[in-house]
Amino acid sequence: MREAGRGRGSGRVIRWLGPGLVVSGVALAGLLGSGALAGASPSHQAARSQAAPSQAAGPPISYSLPPDSYVAPGKVLFEANCSSCHGTDAYGSDRAPNLVGVGAATVDFWVSTGRMPLAGSAIQAVRKPPRFTRTETLQIAAYVASLAPVTPNAPSIPAVSTSVAGQADGLDLFVLDCAACHTVTGAGDALADGYFAPSLHVATKTQVAEAIRTGPGNMPRFGPGELSDKQVADVVSYVTGVIQQPDNGGGLGIGGIGPVAEGFVALLVGIGGLMLIAFWLGERA
Amino acid sequence: MTTLGNRPARGLRQRGTQGNGKVKADPVEAGVRWLDVRLGVAKGGRVFLDKIFPDHWSFLLGEIALYSFVILIVTGIWLSLFFNASTAEVIYHGAYAPLRGVKVSAAYASTIDISFGVRSGMVIRQMHHWAADVVLGSIAVHMCRVFFTGAYRKPREANWIIGVTLLTLGLANGFIGYSLPDDLVSGTGIRLVFSFLLSMPVVGSYLGFFIFGGNYPGDGSLIPRFFILHVLVLPLVILGLITAHLTLLVRQKHTQFPGKGRTEHNVVGTPMYPAFIAKTTGYLFMIAGVLWALGGLVQINPIWQFGPYAPYKISYAVQPDWYMGWLDGALRIMPSWEFASFGHTIPFEVFLPAIVFPGICFGVFYAWPFLEAWLTGDRADHNLLDRPRDKPRRTALGAAALAFFFTLFSASSTDVLANFFQISLNSVLWFFRFATVLVPVVVFFVTWRLCLDLALTPHSGKRKRTNVVTRSATGEYATTPSDDRPGDGHHELEPTPVPVFIDVGDRAEPVGADLGSGVRRIPRR
Amino acid sequence: MTTTTGRDGGDGTVRSPVAAFDDPHMQPYARHPERAERVVAVCLLFGVLGFVGYGICFWVGGQTQAEGALLGIGLFGFGFGLSAWGKYLMPRGPFSEERHSYVSSQAEVEAMTAAVVDRGKMVFRRRGILGGILGLGAAAFGVVLTFPLLRSLGPQPKKALFVTDWKKGAYVVDTNGKRVHRDDMEVGGMLTVFPEGFVGQSVDQTMMVRASTSDVKTRPGRDTWGPDGYLAYSKLCTHAGCPVGLYMEQTQQLLCPCHQSLFDVLDGGTQVFGPAPRPLPQLPLYIDEAGFLRAQKGYDEPVGPGFWERS
Repeated sequence: MREAGRGRGSGRVIRWLGPGLVVSGVALAGLLGSGALAGASPSHQAARSQAAPSQAAGPPISYSLPPDSYVAPGKVLFEANCSSCHGTDAYGSDRAPNLVGVGAATVDFWVSTGRMPLAGSAIQAVRKPPRFTRTETLQIAAYVASLAPVTPNAPSIPAVSTSVAGQADGLDLFVLDCAACHTVTGAGDALADGYFAPSLHVATKTQVAEAIRTGPGNMPRFGPGELSDKQVADVVSYVTGVIQQPDNGGGLGIGGIGPVAEGFVALLVGIGGLMLIAFWLGERA
Repeated sequence: MTTLGNRPARGLRQRGTQGNGKVKADPVEAGVRWLDVRLGVAKGGRVFLDKIFPDHWSFLLGEIALYSFVILIVTGIWLSLFFNASTAEVIYHGAYAPLRGVKVSAAYASTIDISFGVRSGMVIRQMHHWAADVVLGSIAVHMCRVFFTGAYRKPREANWIIGVTLLTLGLANGFIGYSLPDDLVSGTGIRLVFSFLLSMPVVGSYLGFFIFGGNYPGDGSLIPRFFILHVLVLPLVILGLITAHLTLLVRQKHTQFPGKGRTEHNVVGTPMYPAFIAKTTGYLFMIAGVLWALGGLVQINPIWQFGPYAPYKISYAVQPDWYMGWLDGALRIMPSWEFASFGHTIPFEVFLPAIVFPGICFGVFYAWPFLEAWLTGDRADHNLLDRPRDKPRRTALGAAALAFFFTLFSASSTDVLANFFQISLNSVLWFFRFATVLVPVVVFFVTWRLCLDLALTPHSGKRKRTNVVTRSATGEYATTPSDDRPGDGHHELEPTPVPVFIDVGDRAEPVGADLGSGVRRIPRR
Repeated sequence: MTTTTGRDGGDGTVRSPVAAFDDPHMQPYARHPERAERVVAVCLLFGVLGFVGYGICFWVGGQTQAEGALLGIGLFGFGFGLSAWGKYLMPRGPFSEERHSYVSSQAEVEAMTAAVVDRGKMVFRRRGILGGILGLGAAAFGVVLTFPLLRSLGPQPKKALFVTDWKKGAYVVDTNGKRVHRDDMEVGGMLTVFPEGFVGQSVDQTMMVRASTSDVKTRPGRDTWGPDGYLAYSKLCTHAGCPVGLYMEQTQQLLCPCHQSLFDVLDGGTQVFGPAPRPLPQLPLYIDEAGFLRAQKGYDEPVGPGFWERS
């Protein structure tokens, strides 16, 4: 029976959800729609992706620079949008750091997540819709990368292949190195003095790898001596495959911030709801 | 002695005559007699059936706790059929794909198997957890009801003490149960317990080493030890104390709010049978329904997302379950005071909030009935309850205590609050350091003032009757109060003892044209 | 109104109040009982439907949310119907019962007291020595009882809280047991490390970061402890022992995720905020000829939270 329990196919589930919903009534349809259907599918996805790893094993991460032709338009874009703070030659100013030698991945991370250009004077740049198109971003990255040679400290833009990555290894590394700040569900949390660890729920594979390799802001950086490309791909696979599509098989995920949200549900829905029933059942003063 | 011949003549209990003219014995009576001969249930049972339960809604809060506990026992027994309380290392090969191949403890693996590999296992496991969260909340609101109405006063001090003990044991068992799956988040809680034990002067390190079987994390015996505490020792003690709690309740009878026909010497309300039984059984089902629905629809403690515990791993936003939040908050806001001299260290920054503070809190809870009697000089018996507004000092004190615990509880999520409101974690912490002192004081004076004002306002809080304004054809307006609703209390009847027999007199049908069929079947039983 | 059929129970017979059908106490609470009866019937039927639905759902393979909704509705509908039946269709009352006192009479209290006192005198005045031995025995039993109850459970602490497995020359390895080389980490990196052979040991967990050498404020006596900017601190918080795994690279601080104690990485692990009372103990490192990181010696103070025996 224990084996049989998981043997429920998604087709069966969907077929029986229909009558279930009818009986449950319209009010529950929303709950189920967001909880059950959304909750049920990722586990099967995960199971599939885990079950059939591609045997054609390329490198887990390939680093590449944008084509040289991007450098010239990148310089124009840089001077128009970035040089007011970072200086005309990207050597920085009293307001912004030197960018010579940071590499293409750093630039790509900051610009593609919309953190740069800065919106205003906040203690920490926040993720927002990117100002530039993908090509423009790569052009700026190409220009900045052209100012100094590529080194392990200045990686090029990573393309991650998660086909051979292991989510189990990713979980191990994620909990060891990432969860202490980003929380184990990737929700993010406040650090000291107004800084915060952002949520990981919208990061792309490339952005996760870039963040690991370059350590933006308060984040430590994990060089190739510490985490191999395979290990970075494991973490990326865990973040994009599990953190971003969590198996909320238990129902509504309620924010993934653990006992705080659960306590509110227990007190408001549980105790509050049952007290309302008591209020109906009993007499009032 | 009541004998067969002594049976009062009552036509309703006879089921007609058989063909030979003999009276056929009523099967229910035959059953009662069978039991009575062996157990002597009739006399006491009859009194029990007539036991009166006050109708006020606040008397149902304790029932939430009782029934949630029943649900905990039932779901807990079911879970124990699958749970493996062992820290032995196994390789996970279950249904949750991202964990396949990971070395985990047997406790962790079996908990995930319950969730994903056992039919309805997810619902029941989550229901168990929700029920634990709810049972402690309901104990808290039940305790508030008892406190604010003064129900703990003489002669009910003993039951208050039992209640406070139940709360303590409930907190302990909740925490222990939360720790059993051996996941990353609960493992951090266990780590803290070891540090709390260590912080105790003189005996601390010994206690920690004995209970954990060595220096943290011990020799792996903690989970099995916690398991036997969680499923056997503590539930047995709790069950015994609940029995004592209810026995005392029956012996001393319920308290009640003052009202028409209600005195210190009677209890007014609904008899156990049939109305209360129906209502309370229905309530049990509704509580089970709510908890079951929560168990299936709202995710709680998704340990597969947390991963297995290792002592050197940690996640941010680690909080205990809500009922432990006040202790965690106290730990967070405590300044870093440590005593270290004469070759010894007392880590006050842990010892005070984690050991001394809860000790003081529960000490005050235990002593409160006697403390109040001593402060007010009131040593009389009390069966009638106070309205909270009539006791402004007690009410204000209780509200201040609630505010105090709520502030500490909020302080246990400083990081989550800082992140949510996008303010500095440091500022949030400082806010709570002051708020913990200031909020209760403000709440005390506001509540006190409110009580005084409310007490001066007659009929405040009563349900208002609607006035119906009608306009006649000639344009005149007339105001008439609407009909009473039953239970409004405006024209409540004088209470009467529970009747056993319904006098049908010479009428075959009940009076009252609008009486439904319900009334006919009920009083007859 | 209620009448009593002339028996008061004094002679052992049962007191039997009788109510007439037209007694207002016996009327249902509902103003329209037929309507209430229909509501109850619908609720109970809903309950039955929920039960059956759950059964079907379970039978065909089950789905957590469907199960939760179906049986939740079933139980709730069933309970609501039952409660509504009790509330609206059963006699509205109010009924009362006398609060018979369970308190004993003065004479009974005195008799009990006298029994205790007098028999007590017999026991203790004449046989005082026996009573003394009895008390002594009880005390001794209480003390020896704690031996199996507590002492059997685990070993004595002895020096366990004072030592770790970091010894002179111990290789620094990561969680995979791989020795850490001076070129492995970049400035701004962090790594959880253990002494070789003791990966995963709670007391040994150490947080190693690599800072820019120019930024480090070397504390007196620790000049050689951080070669190439490699700084290693015990990962056990000095507050309550949580792993201090949160490294803020830009501000060079370690934050404890449990209670937010903050430590300054560049300044010898000093606590700068939160409830932690002491700096994180620092592990002195050196780099051997082959370029591997090793411990100069163990920690020079107990790691983790405070305890009584700690000086």
